Amino acid sequence: MKRPVSSLSLGSSLKGKLVRAGFQFTTDLQDLNPEHLSAEAGVSQQEALEALQAASSGHGVAPVTALELLQKEEEFRSIVTFCSQLDEALGGGVPVGKVTEICGAPGVGKTQLCLQLAVDVQVPAVFGGLGGQVLFVDTEGGFQVQRLVDLAGAAVRHCSLLAEDEEQRVAMTTFTVETILSNVFLVRCRDYVELLAELHLLADFLSNRPRLRLLVIDSVAFPFLRLHDDLSQRTRLLQGLGLRLIAAATGHNIAVVTTNHMTTRLHSSQAQLAPALGDVWGHAPSIRLLLRWEESRRLASIVKSPGHMDASVQYQITYQGFRDADQSERPPSKRPRSQTDQSASSRKNTGT
Amino acid sequence: MNWDQLQLKPRIISAIQRAHLKSVREVLVLSEPDLQKMTGLSGPDVQELLHAAATACRTHQPITALQLQRGECRRLESGLRLGTGCPVLDQLLRGGLPVGGVTELAGESGAGKTQLGLQLCLSVQYPVEHGGLSAGALYICTEDPFPIRRLQQLISEQTSLRSDVPPSLIGRLRFSDNIYVEHAADLDSLQVCLSRRAALLLAQGRVRLVVVDSVAALFRCEFRPDDWLERNKQLLTVSSMVHHLSHEFTAPVLCINQVGHTYTHTCLLSSGERLSPALGLAWANQVTVRLMMRRLQATVSRGDQSSALRRLEVVFAPHLARGGRDLAVWREGLRGVLDPVLAPFGPDVAQQEMVLPLRLNR
Repeated sequence: MKRPVSSLSLGSSLKGKLVRAGFQFTTDLQDLNPEHLSAEAGVSQQEALEALQAASSGHGVAPVTALELLQKEEEFRSIVTFCSQLDEALGGGVPVGKVTEICGAPGVGKTQLCLQLAVDVQVPAVFGGLGGQVLFVDTEGGFQVQRLVDLAGAAVRHCSLLAEDEEQRVAMTTFTVETILSNVFLVRCRDYVELLAELHLLADFLSNRPRLRLLVIDSVAFPFLRLHDDLSQRTRLLQGLGLRLIAAATGHNIAVVTTNHMTTRLHSSQAQLAPALGDVWGHAPSIRLLLRWEESRRLASIVKSPGHMDASVQYQITYQGFRDADQSERPPSKRPRSQTDQSASSRKNTGT
Repeated sequence: MNWDQLQLKPRIISAIQRAHLKSVREVLVLSEPDLQKMTGLSGPDVQELLHAAATACRTHQPITALQLQRGECRRLESGLRLGTGCPVLDQLLRGGLPVGGVTELAGESGAGKTQLGLQLCLSVQYPVEHGGLSAGALYICTEDPFPIRRLQQLISEQTSLRSDVPPSLIGRLRFSDNIYVEHAADLDSLQVCLSRRAALLLAQGRVRLVVVDSVAALFRCEFRPDDWLERNKQLLTVSSMVHHLSHEFTAPVLCINQVGHTYTHTCLLSSGERLSPALGLAWANQVTVRLMMRRLQATVSRGDQSSALRRLEVVFAPHLARGGRDLAVWREGLRGVLDPVLAPFGPDVAQQEMVLPLRLNR
């Protein structure tokens, strides 16, 4: 059905770019793949994918107002990191529905943050969490159950301290170290082909597990950096991988978190540190978090994000996990329950 | 590749054979449009092919962390550790070296790295309940000849070091029979040694520890400074081999490394240490656990022996806090010296909720 692009339920800036690039009607968008569209219209791959999905699916879809989009985004929620300053800078936490990349030097805390998110995604809804499951794809051998047990125990203790009413206390019975461990699915991939195989089977896995809210790949760099003798194949595979991750994030409403190494780049005869895997991979994540050292302090910076200002916060890794740097004895601040939660609970109370 | 194993429709199998595709790996690295062109199959058929290839390529189904902790997956031995033979050092390492992954031990010459390597070659031979893996070790020397006399001395003093093990058990172990020594003078011979000798010994179950002493020696002399691209490729090749061996046979690999002064962009990389392991960022990205051994100014004495004090530090590890323990080198081997600051907390530190202090340089 031929419809003008301006009537699709997309962001207005995206629609403007499409129209300016000459795509007036949805028929112009047919038979295009996301790479071509993003190159022609000058939009990110995520936006190109959204545009193509909207164009192919719309059958008389009514335009959506900005308010409705905002409410929909708030429903999407985010996963806290337990470092309140970083959560604030991210506007709540690591967002669901998007691809976030964590880069940094070895030992700075990338795997620790991934393990923390794997625990935090499971925080019950009554505490402001997602109560979801996680698929952890380990390519480096850095996944240690011992550490996950440490973090799970600390999270359970924190939530027990926060539990005030009956509903929260009931939720704590299902939020124990054992249940946390049972909701983390681990896959170990020894090389890039096994990683690609796992992602081919991802769609099936996700449809069998509707509670899954987080996919972690730690790391994408490790298997792909070994593919140094055929760089064009590596570029092509990374591009396909990026698209698959974006599609999984938006289509299945999950947060995708990947980790990346840092490499040295020669920039006009000066050595600089930059995330590995090149610019092609750089287009895949919507948000990039850079973890780094500054003398003995650890800093996290948001370096690429359409919705956030570049910001740097200090964090630390303790026995309990990823935390704020000035860790006082107060537990992390409670997430306020959203409007829908409160109305749902009040309905329950009045017995309707 | 026997395509019939994949249970695909006959027309898909004949299309694959016509396209001369030899393995599932070949199929998985091709894009869907390319596969369609090569085989002439329709979209849904290609999806079915990819799905079957991916299932065949997968080594194991996703398992939960709970199943992993309970030891329900044979392929993934998480949580098993190789003890060092000293309870103080084992406490620092929360049990010892992890079995799946590459541990690096870096330090200046004379710090005691080879000593720890030898001690691990002995501790691996004890049964699992005494911190070992009931198998031998392969020790690959790249610069100095193997210190055979020191090994004999350590073997003769094992009853003194391992007072936690009944002497009858120690007497039954034929230590020197189970330590295989190889020399590799250059990169090619190291690669051959790893791909053939190491793989065979590990597959036969005769060894469950590989020590490379040292990695730095091979890379420093063979490459000119501007050959760093080629050097990085070789580093990745060696790393990929040791990782593959480690994960395939659930055996720890210990890579001993030298140190050098850091020059540029230290702020992003390290936490202010001046001496850092050789081979740079490319190698650092490849190791799972990084340990450093330093010689301190102090000395300790015990009876008729005296030893310079050393310090073993955890620089990074996925399951360990940063920290260190002092140790001394005696006739019977390395023994940690209990630090008076941490002593009050007792051996069961892991049970307590506390922020482990960051050890500053003395």
